[in-house]
Amino acid sequence: MADPALLYHDATASDADTLTASNGTGPAFASAESSRFAQTSLPLRQAPRRGAPPHIRDVTEKFTAACQALDVGQLVKDEYFTLFESIGAIEIMDPKMDSGFLQPGETLEDDFDPLAPLLPEELIGIMDQLLSYEMAWHTGYPLSQTLFTSVYIDRLLWPEPESIPQAQFYRDDILDDKRPGTLLDVLRAYCLALIKGCDYVIAKIMARDYFEEEDFSTHTYNRVLFVQAPIDVFLRELDASVEMIEDPDLQIDGGIRSAIVARLHFRKTFLCALDPECPLEILSSFWPPVVPFIDQVNDTHILGKTVPGSFSTKIQRRLASTVPPRPIVQVEFKDALQTLKQLCIDCKEATRFKDLPTDPLEYQSFLWTFASRQPAPLTYSRSYLSNILFDPYVLNAPVSLPLEDVQSFVFHESPILDPSNWALSPPRNPLMPKSPRLQFALLIDEFVERVGQSYLDLWVALGQNKCRLRRMLTHVIIAWDMLQQDAVFVDADLIAYALQLTISEEVMDGPLQTWVYIKKLWMIEKVVVLGFEQDIYLPDEYAGIYYFLSLMATKRKDALKRCVEHTNDRTVQFLQSSRFEDAQNTSEKISFIDSELQQATGISAFAKALHGIYTIANYLRLLPSPNRPFSTESLRYELRMKPFLSLQPPEVPPFEEFQAAVQPYGTYSDPSPSLHDDLRQADCKVWSDIDTSLKNAKDAFAKVKKYGAKESKAGGVEQAWNKEIQGMLASCIALGVTVAGLKSAVKDIEPGSKVQVKIEIPPAGASKRYVEGWIVPKIVKG
Amino acid sequence: MAHDGDALQYVQYHGAKEETYLPAIRQLISKDLSEPYSIYVYRYFLYQWGDLCYMALDSANELIGVVVCKLEPHRSGPCRGYIAMLAVRESHRGQGIATKLVCMAIDAMAARDADEIVLETEVTNQASLKLYERLGFLRSKRLHRYYLNGNAAFRLVLYMKEGTALKRPPVVDGQDGQMMGGLQKMEEYKGFAQDAEVT
Repeated sequence: MADPALLYHDATASDADTLTASNGTGPAFASAESSRFAQTSLPLRQAPRRGAPPHIRDVTEKFTAACQALDVGQLVKDEYFTLFESIGAIEIMDPKMDSGFLQPGETLEDDFDPLAPLLPEELIGIMDQLLSYEMAWHTGYPLSQTLFTSVYIDRLLWPEPESIPQAQFYRDDILDDKRPGTLLDVLRAYCLALIKGCDYVIAKIMARDYFEEEDFSTHTYNRVLFVQAPIDVFLRELDASVEMIEDPDLQIDGGIRSAIVARLHFRKTFLCALDPECPLEILSSFWPPVVPFIDQVNDTHILGKTVPGSFSTKIQRRLASTVPPRPIVQVEFKDALQTLKQLCIDCKEATRFKDLPTDPLEYQSFLWTFASRQPAPLTYSRSYLSNILFDPYVLNAPVSLPLEDVQSFVFHESPILDPSNWALSPPRNPLMPKSPRLQFALLIDEFVERVGQSYLDLWVALGQNKCRLRRMLTHVIIAWDMLQQDAVFVDADLIAYALQLTISEEVMDGPLQTWVYIKKLWMIEKVVVLGFEQDIYLPDEYAGIYYFLSLMATKRKDALKRCVEHTNDRTVQFLQSSRFEDAQNTSEKISFIDSELQQATGISAFAKALHGIYTIANYLRLLPSPNRPFSTESLRYELRMKPFLSLQPPEVPPFEEFQAAVQPYGTYSDPSPSLHDDLRQADCKVWSDIDTSLKNAKDAFAKVKKYGAKESKAGGVEQAWNKEIQGMLASCIALGVTVAGLKSAVKDIEPGSKVQVKIEIPPAGASKRYVEGWIVPKIVKG
Repeated sequence: MAHDGDALQYVQYHGAKEETYLPAIRQLISKDLSEPYSIYVYRYFLYQWGDLCYMALDSANELIGVVVCKLEPHRSGPCRGYIAMLAVRESHRGQGIATKLVCMAIDAMAARDADEIVLETEVTNQASLKLYERLGFLRSKRLHRYYLNGNAAFRLVLYMKEGTALKRPPVVDGQDGQMMGGLQKMEEYKGFAQDAEVT
């Protein structure tokens, strides 16, 4: 059973499922910002007018009298009282809800003395405990249940110090004999740097689109995490601490001494790596130094001694929150270190982004691969990458990134993109027609402008956690669908001007709409594949969903084919007019498009083969099939196709067509007698279709593999790319084995007889699939 | 086991029964929760949609199981039923009580013209997933870190009528449908526990 997972008032929506993120800033170079953030349409309460003096009136009696007029169960509720608010409501004197409620004998505050001298082992223990909580926070838990349960951290932050020197475990004056000793000073330096690190983390995450609670909790409960203090202050404190610990006069065991120093060094290198002011060019140099210290921390963790009293849930009562005290999140130290290490590795990986060639398709490959990393990158790591991606240095590339993308598919050495078009001036007399070449430039500029937001939305989506990515893509697809409709008009204008110049044979038919369509179809395929990856579909749906996936990939294949043909035509045209360099340039571009074409061919064929095998499995009743008394096939089909129903051109086949594809022999419970005749013959169409598809898929993926990552514009993620294509090939081979197994299992099958094998579905996320989004069933003895 | 599912009585909740049943409902629901819902949460549902709450009572009138729902137009257009809470006493699980309660709730929502019925459940809650998927629900989304314990949820959806996917909210005061975007956000909250019997 789950937690109720209801949140009190500091919760935000977890599933608004729009492109609206909770930070409210949005991508850096978008212009139409405001429209992206949905306005609330609820009538809002009037805020109390400012300025009027507070007027306090005791209403207890009136209130009590009014209550008595109500029956139990009767609810006084105005329009504004939503479910959200009912969940935020608490009951006074209920110990689980009322944060001020004390059990008999319970004290409000803890009696832990943060000025009491520490043992060196205890210093290590506290540092390590803090690190565990820091990582728990990184995985999504609020500060209130993690770092802010530390009495030391609390003392440093509250009452709010005016300066760093004032941030002590005490405030104001202190007797000399109470003054903290060396170890406490060292702990203070460690805590200060830790807190500053949290400030940096929050700053980086909030600079990008993220979803509060779902991804990360940025709430600091009115505590200010030394926002104003520069990094040097903290580094100096850490350096001074290292000196103090390394002082030979300090009586301390050698192993423990170096363990403490390692922790201080870790804190220093980590804080430097988190610094948002790091210049882009040298980002990558900040992460490798952190790792050796993590290892040292790990190796010496055993030397530490915990001080459980220095952490308390009671501190939560004083935080600015209506949430009742919640238990401290418990994290194993080794898991925390693993998380930390992964964070460093992921951020280091993210820094490779800046070395990519200036090519939006390389960017796209990188973003996709990063989102697919296992274990899934934490919110910080994703924000870290997004911050690089949306860095002005990247975005203000000398070329228009969307146009660069368009060019990779449809405009090769095209007169439409001839730079001289942009050099033309409009006629002095505005009533005179502009030259067609100038019109090309204007149309393209207008289109690029139009594409901008949709293009960014795709990138923003690729920066989200994968569940969110799948849902966000369905929205991005709708935007691209509208873009496609606009592209149709721009294409018509382009071709009209090309006709005026009698160069229409040099322009592809509907270039812009084709490009948009290819991108849109790619996204649709991704939504489906992510669905498999996220275990969204039930086994008896696989046949139909792979059928749909195959349809989408086939359409993309056809569009890409037209791009290849046009590119070939252009090459021939150049050769005929002896423009050999242009011919050479154009034919070189074919590799990428053909690689995409082969990829789409492979996906379409492999999905078709899976559609075939799962259809047979459904007929043989090898997959669980609930009887679903409240549902019908057509209702479920409608639900499944919902994200795509409004698309133009229509992508969702009519239900009858879908049904004919997944039930070629009639219903599963009462199939036509020819089913068993056909299944018995290994060379019958039902089998040969699968065999052919599988062969086509293998051939296509082999070609993609031969092109390699670089030609496929995934050179920046070559390793992952190779692994994926290898996985697709391995999936094809595995499916071949399954097909053979099933064929032999049904070679004597009769209507009504039960087939003596079982189908095993490799589970999601358990490394049992060659590629997570491709479910190849296994045949096992029944 | 001595309990016999057939001996149970299935009754619709009514506001007049609050004193009799609400404490028991709260107790049953919150048994498996780390944090209780305030009474307002229960009243929010029961006051407005008491007729969509069904209880299983034994011969001594003890509460054995309960389902709590709501039904209202969703900002995206359809009339959406929501199964908010479902719980069956541990000693009585495995007898189809939860299924029966859910079926009654679905029938009631269908009678009140629901276009669709939705709920969330933890991705690891096999019993709950099985229960709903047997009835015809499909998983529509995976929700990352949906629950306080950091676990993910599936949104489960059951369409009741053809054309639900294309329903759009009525246009009010010249606002177009997209302006309604904020409503869900205000209404949104993390899901309720979905109890289900172990099959």
